[in-house]
Amino acid sequence: MRWGWLLLLAGCAGLRVVPLPPEAERHRPKTKDGWEIALVRYRPQGPVTGRPVLLCHGISANDRNMDLDERHSMARWFAAQGREAWTMSLRATGDSDRPDPSKGRALPIFFDDYWEHDLPTAIAHVRAVTGAESIDYAGHSMGGMIAYAYLSQGGTGLHAVATLGAPTRLDWGTGLEAILARLGPKVVSSPDVLLPSQLGAGLAAPFMTVVRDGPFQRIFYNPESTDPSTWQRLVVYGTADTAGGTARQLLALIATGRFTSKDGARDFRADMARIRTPVLVVAGKLDRVALTPAVMDGYGALGGPKRWLLITRANGALGEYGHMDLVIGERAPDEVFRPVLDFFNLHDPP
Amino acid sequence: MISPVVVALVLSASPGDLQVSHRRVNAPDGVALAVYRYQRPGVVSSLPPVVLVPDVGFSRAAWDFEGRGLARWLSATGRLVYVVELRGQGKAGPGLALTPMVTVDLPSVLDALKLERIDLVVHGWVGSLVLAVHGQSARIRRVVALNTPLFAAPPSALATAFLADGGRFSTLASSPSGARTFHELFALWAELPSGTEQAFLSTGTRDLSRPVAAELLAWMNTGDRPLGGQSVSARLAALDRPTLLLLGLADGFAPPEQCAVLRERAPGPVELHTFSRAEGGEDFSHLSMLLGREAPKKVFPRIGAFLGEAAP
Repeated sequence: MRWGWLLLLAGCAGLRVVPLPPEAERHRPKTKDGWEIALVRYRPQGPVTGRPVLLCHGISANDRNMDLDERHSMARWFAAQGREAWTMSLRATGDSDRPDPSKGRALPIFFDDYWEHDLPTAIAHVRAVTGAESIDYAGHSMGGMIAYAYLSQGGTGLHAVATLGAPTRLDWGTGLEAILARLGPKVVSSPDVLLPSQLGAGLAAPFMTVVRDGPFQRIFYNPESTDPSTWQRLVVYGTADTAGGTARQLLALIATGRFTSKDGARDFRADMARIRTPVLVVAGKLDRVALTPAVMDGYGALGGPKRWLLITRANGALGEYGHMDLVIGERAPDEVFRPVLDFFNLHDPP
Repeated sequence: MISPVVVALVLSASPGDLQVSHRRVNAPDGVALAVYRYQRPGVVSSLPPVVLVPDVGFSRAAWDFEGRGLARWLSATGRLVYVVELRGQGKAGPGLALTPMVTVDLPSVLDALKLERIDLVVHGWVGSLVLAVHGQSARIRRVVALNTPLFAAPPSALATAFLADGGRFSTLASSPSGARTFHELFALWAELPSGTEQAFLSTGTRDLSRPVAAELLAWMNTGDRPLGGQSVSARLAALDRPTLLLLGLADGFAPPEQCAVLRERAPGPVELHTFSRAEGGEDFSHLSMLLGREAPKKVFPRIGAFLGEAAP
């Protein structure tokens, strides 16, 4: 039903969901707490050049952020470079299990569920299927935060990591924060909800190419780096409902400035000093969701080895990058994915 | 001892209007420094004067350009304002090193003007140096810091190339590619009144000396530099004056990600605001934070409100 509405809306706007290609293999490992997580596997094209790479999306999103279509797919790009690539959808997003209390999958869903259950399950599955001792990982936005939390708590199995626009603090005194801090707790009245962000995005999708400098461009992407039609397709089939518990946990970052578990007992940011997995921290100069200070905060917290990469014209990019440009930008293969691969190769020469 | 040569020159004055006067102060080593005073006749504020310090390579024009800028805006609120040009800036004498700008020049100016208590507004890399040296001074009541870096991060390729070439703004002004470099570093996505960017580049900047450019590049590369037996970052970590830290997301010369950590390091209260287009207005670059169309609406009122608070 949900998809039906979206398809109708997409059809009205001359849009369509681009299906995954035939070579995409679907996997569904199950977490220890009973959720099936949707993974998509792309086998490497040509000779294998390195470890498998696992790719994870951010909040209110799904696996298609990393695999939108043939031209905008970090997954297929890595596969084309000889790296086996896997995408994952966190619980209650994409084709992963939806909540179903009758089957033991009840709300709320917190950020902690992702790093404690979903990510370890995905890593274990990729390792088991491929036989790799450890794998590389790239996470966008909250997908990067999940890696930070996982590694900071002693998580294993990741050889090298790239985070793209991943903040570790959200209290930078912006007007947007003030709005979220004020309205967020009212909108997310309970952790036991799934906010209908997917439906909202679908309703807004037909208008995405009409307004040239509206709130979506100002907040999420830069038309100088991502074609509005690309963004429109992401909105149609790359969004997901937002778990209330996760939203509340992230809202707490705005209120407290602390990156912690929901009970506050684990201080991820402090514990990131213990991380010894190599991490490439990628930031977009004009990312207005994960501001560069927010991303740099994570870089500063990491124990190392680590590397900072700011995507900006001043560093040779052909346009400035906003939050979503890092994964769906028209030049992202050259300006983002390539440096990520180079970083992985640096720590695991082909 | 300072031997100020006063060249009091009223640059613009009519009854009731803003009066801008200029004087020269000689530093103990003889280097001439420039001071501009902005005051409305008959207006007496109970709050201390505000001293504005430009960033490296910038001049008084950073605060007062073609009749716009923070100096005039603050004076319109009744504040007595001084803009200072330290060695290497504007009409001041030559600057061959960064440190004397803040260890010699600024105290010389404050002494010459007999300013016992001031509010301070600083910008960029020179701003960081000022705060590192004077951040605990009882002479300073409140501080506004605009994109003042503290944290180490590799400078952009463009910033590296600009400074490795000696930090010559005049070269940038003479070619389209130079103008693009200036744009990317200092005016990225800036909403400036028409012609401001080029005009400021031509008349509001001054070439760095090669030693200063090299010092600055080394500072950017390492994230720190020696200062008075300590380091800039160690001294900044002692900043205890009430501080308003304003960050422009689009600043390519003093990137906000290198500045924000001041809030954590400084033991004193630091109020942080980061500007971005997500909230309307603009992202604010190094230049547009000072002279952008939106600055009088978004930036200056915050500064005015912060400096207008009476205590401490």
